[in-house]
Amino acid sequence: MNIAEIFIYPGIAFLIITGILLSGILRKITARMQSRIGPPIIQPLYDILKLLSKENIRPKQAKQGFTLWPALSLVSLILAGLMVPVAGITALGAGDIIVIVYFLAFGSFAAYMSGFVSGNPFGAIGAARGIMQMISYEFPFIMALLFPVVFLNTLSIAELNAIQITSGIWNIYLFPIAGVIFLISILAALEIPPFHIPSAHQEIVGGYSTEYTGTRLAYLELSHMVKLVVVLSIAIAVFLGGANTIYVFGAKLLVLIFLITLVRVLMARLRIDTGLKFYWTLGYILIIDYVLRILL
Amino acid sequence: MPKDTTTIPLGPQHPALVEPEYIKLEVDGESVISAEIHLGYLHRGIEELMQRRNYIQNIFVAERICGICSACHTLTYASAVESLLDIEVTNRAKYIRTIIAELERLHSHLLWVGVAGYEIGIDTVFQYAWKDREYIMEILEEISGNRVNYAMNTIGGVRRDITDTHAEKLKNIMKIIEKRSEYYKKVFATDSVILKRTKNIGILTAHDAKKYSAAGPLARASNIRFDIRNEKYAAYGLVDWTEITAAGCDVSARAEVRIIELEESAKIITQCLDQMEHDPLVMRAPSIVPVGEATFRVEAPRGEIFYYARSNGTDTPERVKMRPPTYANLLALKAMLKGAKLADVPIIVASIDPCFSCTDRVTVLDTKTRKEKIMTENELRKLSK
Repeated sequence: MNIAEIFIYPGIAFLIITGILLSGILRKITARMQSRIGPPIIQPLYDILKLLSKENIRPKQAKQGFTLWPALSLVSLILAGLMVPVAGITALGAGDIIVIVYFLAFGSFAAYMSGFVSGNPFGAIGAARGIMQMISYEFPFIMALLFPVVFLNTLSIAELNAIQITSGIWNIYLFPIAGVIFLISILAALEIPPFHIPSAHQEIVGGYSTEYTGTRLAYLELSHMVKLVVVLSIAIAVFLGGANTIYVFGAKLLVLIFLITLVRVLMARLRIDTGLKFYWTLGYILIIDYVLRILL
Repeated sequence: MPKDTTTIPLGPQHPALVEPEYIKLEVDGESVISAEIHLGYLHRGIEELMQRRNYIQNIFVAERICGICSACHTLTYASAVESLLDIEVTNRAKYIRTIIAELERLHSHLLWVGVAGYEIGIDTVFQYAWKDREYIMEILEEISGNRVNYAMNTIGGVRRDITDTHAEKLKNIMKIIEKRSEYYKKVFATDSVILKRTKNIGILTAHDAKKYSAAGPLARASNIRFDIRNEKYAAYGLVDWTEITAAGCDVSARAEVRIIELEESAKIITQCLDQMEHDPLVMRAPSIVPVGEATFRVEAPRGEIFYYARSNGTDTPERVKMRPPTYANLLALKAMLKGAKLADVPIIVASIDPCFSCTDRVTVLDTKTRKEKIMTENELRKLSK
């Protein structure tokens, strides 16, 4: 653990830049699949820079925490990112999966809380939907993560990464059901269609970020982009064979982004009740898988 | 008494509604308890305007009522005035009017398919449908010089011809449209996520559709045979076409009706192009209209457009009254929204293909007491102060 690792690579700067690039690539591939030209890949950077230069408006009805929750969301997700191995290096030293999951969940929770405190009905409904979506996807998400933890007998995500690299066997081969279900849970964690329910702008305008402008909105947007990197890095480190060089890591990230875009382009938005049923069914499938593995 | 419901405003400015209109929703969690529809954000005093201009100038006013069904408004207006003047337009003019009206239906329905996709959160359908719509928009621009207000219809005929080169291009485009409509039919009938969002959503039973006097594709999707083209105005009596109905009564049925109508429109246009004869385009119409009154109905893409015109023997109409389709369909919305989930509200509102710029007249509808109230001139003055 040293300062450069925390602040530059693979730390804060790397997380933010990768997040911006990944969401830019996501938008570009989406556009090409929809036969559009699409924005330049660094468009999210322009967006963030523009937001940072904008006036900060605080609505009268906003409650306490209007600035705090978006900032907490970004900080918490960056902390989670610092504990995930990027190309074999973990900025904060060996990360514990349980802690990472907590910071990840708290990051999303803080983003949704910022919707509650903004005092806007759309914000409140978006936040309620977001929390409901968390309740639905966190169950299979954590259940799936526990498979490698329990059966490979380690809580350290860096160690899981290392085990796969030395043995050469991807965990998704060992735990196929858990791996696939984890990848499906990612969609809801990242609010990718068909699970962009908390930010369905046709129904609830901006969702939880409706009242936000300027720097505060930039926090929320950045936290979303960082979440993209963190969640995909967890998927790579825990299930998809890990990575010890930046090239392998980058290639795996790009493949994952491509798959996510494919789903995003092909799917309509589900309703929140359908989403809940869907994810809890996945959770129960995992429980059955777990019991069978213990018994047999 | 504490309120246990939240009031969600849908509009006047809202991403789900392109035009400013206000629907007040009372929601309990995600379920809609009741919906109130407030009209009037787009009132432009068109009817008053028409009483101050002569018959020819009024064509341009009628054209600008709506950005989508502009040709249908002028067709209805011109036909109403023609029946006042007792003029019969030539066959070629009839065919050209039909072709333009059907092209308009094509681009309106394709627009709807895109908007429906957008409302349920699948942007790809939106991008594809609007790309296909460009074929129609481009040929309309080539024929008339305009993409929105084609200025084709005039009293006594049409103003521009459809040449052989246009006809050739149109036929090719119709083949493309038929192919694409097959594709959309498949997408909307088989895609499981789309079906989840459209099947059994926004139910309007045939009984309710009749009760609220729904019109156009909305009524036809509730299995009611109601298509003004059956009255054989323009060239609809001269070509072969079928009226499309569906029995589903839900959003999915409305999509089905509109997508199959794409094919029907393509067929009508191809037949018109084959049957067109060489006639003069426009009959001379006198500028003074004899005393009398006339009504005319046309099937616009969204339903029935009704025009009433009264002449007092001058070159200016004494009264022009219009009733566009959205006005008929909005009432049904209240029945469809009750008990719906908040997530389904945008697609239900979109499923009637609302066009508020057509709708806003002086009549104010009070949904609480279900009483219609016509605002007097003094009341309007008071409001504007």
